[in-house]
Amino acid sequence: MSEELAAALRAEYAAIWAYGPIGVRLRGAAVDAARQAEAAHRSRRDALVLHLAATGATVPTGQAGYALPFPVTDQASALRLAVEVEERTGAYWRAALPVTTGAERSRALAALTDCAVRATRWRRAAGTTPLTVAFPGRPG
Amino acid sequence: MLSGRTTQRHGPDGHSRRTVLRAGALVALVGTGTALAGCDLLDGRPAPDPTPDPLAPLLTGALDLADRYAAAAAAAPELAGRLDPIAEAHRAHAAELARVTGTTPSGRPGGSPTGPVTGTAAQLLADLRAAEQQGRDEAVRACTEAPAERAALLGSIAAARATHLEALR
Repeated sequence: MSEELAAALRAEYAAIWAYGPIGVRLRGAAVDAARQAEAAHRSRRDALVLHLAATGATVPTGQAGYALPFPVTDQASALRLAVEVEERTGAYWRAALPVTTGAERSRALAALTDCAVRATRWRRAAGTTPLTVAFPGRPG
Repeated sequence: MLSGRTTQRHGPDGHSRRTVLRAGALVALVGTGTALAGCDLLDGRPAPDPTPDPLAPLLTGALDLADRYAAAAAAAPELAGRLDPIAEAHRAHAAELARVTGTTPSGRPGGSPTGPVTGTAAQLLADLRAAEQQGRDEAVRACTEAPAERAALLGSIAAARATHLEALR
């Protein structure tokens, strides 16, 4: 169980980091949206750190930096990365669903859902259609 | 072997029907581990309908949602670009739910439960939002209660329905 949650925590570290380079390339309302997204990921991170520590599991730490999947040079590439960050992070939370039950599964589902909804909002901001995917978080 | 059909090839008389029912109750009492023995007891006859899968209502609901989106897109073609991908997603959900529950989604009796719809685009969207919200709540509940092997699929369906609500805004 803690293995999947530890993986979700590592994904949250990466997501928080990614909103740095994303945020500096955005303008207007997207700046606020990025700030809120980053805050949401921080709060998921904090809850996970506390949870893993409370269960006696090893709590992974974040890295100083992460390799971006493509250069972020303007608003369009920043929005594209934001979509990708949310999709990838959601996949880790989805993977935590089968290994959790009760309130813990509800939290994992809420996290997956938040990622999926933010991905939809970023697609709208980027003018990407369709706005949704059929199976958020599903690999492939 | 244990298909859900209740054929009565061996005669419709009440006695043999009762025997079948009693044998079915026996199978239920001794649990699923004796499914094969149950077949032997029934002398090759299919067992009575098993308890419906707990995901059956979610499967029906997904098809119902797909129909609602299709009907709204037909009534307001200017919305089709937004609504068609969501209808497709609901159909994809239904197909996956049919796969994991071992049922066939096609051939559903009654066809579209909604029929043609009318109203302004705003009214159609409001109706879809209400139906989608209800469907989302059902999927969340199903995911929370599901065994491990179904949790990821149901989580994706619940999350997808939340994104549909966002796309309808």
